[in-house]
Amino acid sequence: MVRKMAMTGGRRGGLLLALAVAVAGVGLIVFAVASQQPAPPAPPSSAAGTVDPAPSASSSSPEEPKASNKQDPAQDTVEAAQETPLGPSEPESISIPAIDVRSEVFSIGKAADGSLAVPQPGPNLDKAAWFENSPTPGQPGPSVIEGHVATEESGPSIFFNLGNLRPGDEITVKREDGKTAVFTVDAVRNFDKNRFPTELVYGGNLSTPTLRLITCSNFDSSVGQHTGNLVVFSQLTDVRDS
Amino acid sequence: MRKPIRMLVPLAAATLAVAMSPTPSFADHANGTFQTTLDPLNGSSGSGMATVSVAGDQATIDMSWSGLPETFMDAPYPHVQHIHIGNRGECPTPSADKNGDGIIDTVEGQPSYGAIGTTLSTKGDTSPAAGTNIKTAPGGSTLDYSRTITLSEDTLDSLAGGTGVIVVHGLDPATLSEEAANAKSNLVPELPLAATAPALCGALSSSPSGGVDTGSGSTAGVENLGMFGLGGGLLVAAGAGLVGRRRRSAMQAV
Repeated sequence: MVRKMAMTGGRRGGLLLALAVAVAGVGLIVFAVASQQPAPPAPPSSAAGTVDPAPSASSSSPEEPKASNKQDPAQDTVEAAQETPLGPSEPESISIPAIDVRSEVFSIGKAADGSLAVPQPGPNLDKAAWFENSPTPGQPGPSVIEGHVATEESGPSIFFNLGNLRPGDEITVKREDGKTAVFTVDAVRNFDKNRFPTELVYGGNLSTPTLRLITCSNFDSSVGQHTGNLVVFSQLTDVRDS
Repeated sequence: MRKPIRMLVPLAAATLAVAMSPTPSFADHANGTFQTTLDPLNGSSGSGMATVSVAGDQATIDMSWSGLPETFMDAPYPHVQHIHIGNRGECPTPSADKNGDGIIDTVEGQPSYGAIGTTLSTKGDTSPAAGTNIKTAPGGSTLDYSRTITLSEDTLDSLAGGTGVIVVHGLDPATLSEEAANAKSNLVPELPLAATAPALCGALSSSPSGGVDTGSGSTAGVENLGMFGLGGGLLVAAGAGLVGRRRRSAMQAV
């Protein structure tokens, strides 16, 4: 009897051990799956909006979704009115509350091949970068700030969730002169890198203070590269003194 | 002696054909788009942006600026504007004010931005000769300008070499020191210094080409490979343990 009991206990113990090991294994896999980074969000076509809408057209255009946080219709008119451009002052930091982004901003130039240089491995890799030949944020014309979507070194980067931005979302940029330029998103667009609309992004309307945010999109695992660029178009709607 | 000459005939014909061909192949070295912000000089409160899109020797210049003085002697203030060429390709810093009157005048700025290469007039002549013609200069406090013109070889060379600078002239005399406000232009003595001194400046550089490589890595692949491996290993071990246990109990049953 005693022997039999011990046998049973031994059997139970073995079973329990096997079960425990199995549970641990399943648990680890579930955790690994759960912490697996999803692909970055891509904008639905409905979020495309209108690139640099004319101030008078933006409130009447049927395809332009109204900012949801505006109750006062009169405020829409005020918002549609162009904010007076600021003088030059370099950006210090950027904040995009809708996607929980806060970053220092540093200046960046062009790469040897003539394309816009990108943040390199090191302390600036996951920071936003302002293209130093573009207007400073708030000056007339399209200011350009870029950031990685993901990097080999650290996975998801500063602009990972840029594709979640929608027309009406706010982007604030603090400048060296203490002023904060507030931009409101007009459009979110995805472009093929080999058909990148250089003039639309770096040029276009030179008199209105606008801001373009650029990151990568459309990762193609067959070539191991991003084949697209996601561009957020926004324009200056407010200036705060801080 | 005849043979070489005969051989030279087709060569001469080919040379002639190339020389007569209308393609301006000699002037495509500046092709592309150049851009700059127009930042204030000499305490001006203006600001703006310009792009120059070059194809061959044709260029479309788009410019927008605001915040410059509105009127001059009860008429729209003429703001002469140019692409300056051939020197350092920079906008002058305060140290360029050699005579210490608080104003970098056009001549003091030349070591930085060079001489006039092209005049960005509203109509007619765009050569340096039109540089101080206030009749074809844009007038008033703001400008939205778009004009397609032929650029000289000198200006094309300077753009391609990265030394083209856009300068917009014309300061508000009220913002100047009394000495500077009363001074005469060293370019056009019948005009005050304020009329020809630079108010906005921007060094042109080529716009970035193509897309942007803002993704050295991706989250599309499998991360946590180690965790998947360990989890899988544990499952295999548990399975093996169970099988072994069954075998043992099977043996015992016999």
